Amino acid sequence: MKTNKHTTPLFNRLLKTTLAAGCLLVAPGIFSQAKKGAEQQQQLTLLFNLTAGGAKLLPGNTYTNPFGERYTVQKFKYYITQLELQDSTDMSTQFFPDNYFLIDADDTGTQRITIPLSIKHLTSVSFVIGVDSSANVSGKQEGTLDPGYGMFWTWNTGYIYMKLLATSPAAKVPANTFTFDIGGFKPGESASRKIGFYIRHKLSQDVHNIVFGVDVNKLFNGAHDIKIAEHPLCHEPGALAMQLADNYATMFSVQQVTK
Amino acid sequence: MRILYTILFFIIVTAGSSIFISSANKTPSPTPIAFVVPKGWPQPVYDFSANPVTEEGFQLGRRLFYDGRLSRDGNFSCAACHQQFAAFATYDHNLSHGVNNNFTRRNAPGLFNLAWQKEFMWDGGITHLDLQPLAPMTDTLEMGETIDNILTKLRADTAYRRMFNAAFGSTDITTQRLTRALSQFVLMMVSANSKYDRVMRGEDTFDLPQRLGYEIFMKKCQVCHTPPLFTDYSYRNTGITADQYLNDIGRMKITRNPVDSLKFKVPSLRNVQLTFPYGHDGRFFNLQDVLDHYRKAVTNSPTVDSLVRNNLNLSNYETGQLKAFMYALTDSSFLHDARFAPPGYENRTPKAPSEHEHLYKY
Repeated sequence: MKTNKHTTPLFNRLLKTTLAAGCLLVAPGIFSQAKKGAEQQQQLTLLFNLTAGGAKLLPGNTYTNPFGERYTVQKFKYYITQLELQDSTDMSTQFFPDNYFLIDADDTGTQRITIPLSIKHLTSVSFVIGVDSSANVSGKQEGTLDPGYGMFWTWNTGYIYMKLLATSPAAKVPANTFTFDIGGFKPGESASRKIGFYIRHKLSQDVHNIVFGVDVNKLFNGAHDIKIAEHPLCHEPGALAMQLADNYATMFSVQQVTK
Repeated sequence: MRILYTILFFIIVTAGSSIFISSANKTPSPTPIAFVVPKGWPQPVYDFSANPVTEEGFQLGRRLFYDGRLSRDGNFSCAACHQQFAAFATYDHNLSHGVNNNFTRRNAPGLFNLAWQKEFMWDGGITHLDLQPLAPMTDTLEMGETIDNILTKLRADTAYRRMFNAAFGSTDITTQRLTRALSQFVLMMVSANSKYDRVMRGEDTFDLPQRLGYEIFMKKCQVCHTPPLFTDYSYRNTGITADQYLNDIGRMKITRNPVDSLKFKVPSLRNVQLTFPYGHDGRFFNLQDVLDHYRKAVTNSPTVDSLVRNNLNLSNYETGQLKAFMYALTDSSFLHDARFAPPGYENRTPKAPSEHEHLYKY
């Protein structure tokens, strides 16, 4: 307590005020961090189980489409955006309009989307296959929207929403390589498709994983019949791209909802 | 009391060091460059708030513009086809050279006043300036490279890492930063100081042929080549036929609508003296060829513009006067502006010729 002798009452008060102020400055930081931690506890994982007519879809493997045409997958990827979770019991929603997920058959990490879950019940999930038109024209190129991912038409501005690159003896084109580059955002040629699923009434804490089945074979006959032999190439927006988009809207199903 | 001092000591040390750390980590913020809209011009369409032009971003864009590594074989920079002395078009070439001994399929346009342009390419297929460079970079007839390879080459270069850090606050080299830096460079290419501009500002006067040409121009040309930008950015069929080898349908390639068959973007006539040959495929070697097309050779077809259908009425005298006026759209200060020269060549850019030594040739 030697130092006590040298301190004046005024200095002591100053010291205490400084300390109190210091604590006040630090406290909100600690509290907000604690709050963040609580929110992060509840998470939802969406898994995309890529298949071709029931078999696991793997690049390099060969599958048969509904018309009996055999094809060997080289690339398969697609964009998902505007993910929305709904609670119909209190009409609350969670919306993720600025998240663009690029799901790629070559990268299993992309087939799993983890998002925070804050609504009380989860009664439905919806999302858009594609990229909203504003992101197509705003020059946006960040994250998964980087044109370096090869999901972008450089000569006719616009994102490719879904790409299937494969070889097939039925494709009478160079190297038997057929390409479905599907996209289009302008009026009259939109290839974005919104799809939604009801989840049987569940408390949020009981839902941690939703597994979506994604059947690539539906791309050939989900809504319109599109044979590789007749349409080996789709490389721009338009009528064929919109038909393929109608088909990919039928590709998805809920396979499993688990804790 | 000692404990009180100890706590106080730690608070001071922590606060002090955090200030020190934050100042040490902080990259100095880049220096903004003002974009000046010439007097009487419309507001630009480019959204500068999303990509503010800075000295560091501009210099990075300039270095990228002149760097051949953006192409597959290292030989074709942006500047290979966009040459400053040709107002950033390809001088004296109908089509430009690309990798592997290829020719491009269209004539390289001059680059200037891009902040006012909404759509790019002769067919308007590209809807944002930032996205424009991706097309020539990846086109197999032009620079023939992949975006990933370009980024890999740039990331391996410490000078680029330093420049990206200075321009964008970290050493990350991404597609968006690459294209935004290029936009910053080309956005500053404003050409607004031709003799025409000086006359409009009251600083100079046309000579007789220029004045007569100006009057004809305002009667017969300005609907499409509208001042001050000397284009209305519309797509029109000027009565051409498709080249049998290029077979280019123009705007219809983008819209797939037959009403757009053989329509191409109206080019600006600024610096037109230096951007020859003319037309989307460079089929017109000089201005006389263009004017002769309009007065003698318009091919009528369903999509031909009504303004040129059945040819334009222009006499021999009028074509000479029109050319005199169009030469007054040459902006020598832009062609010799050291800011746009290759890095390191600022002082080697030839001085702009004086008014009397100008390249007038009628």
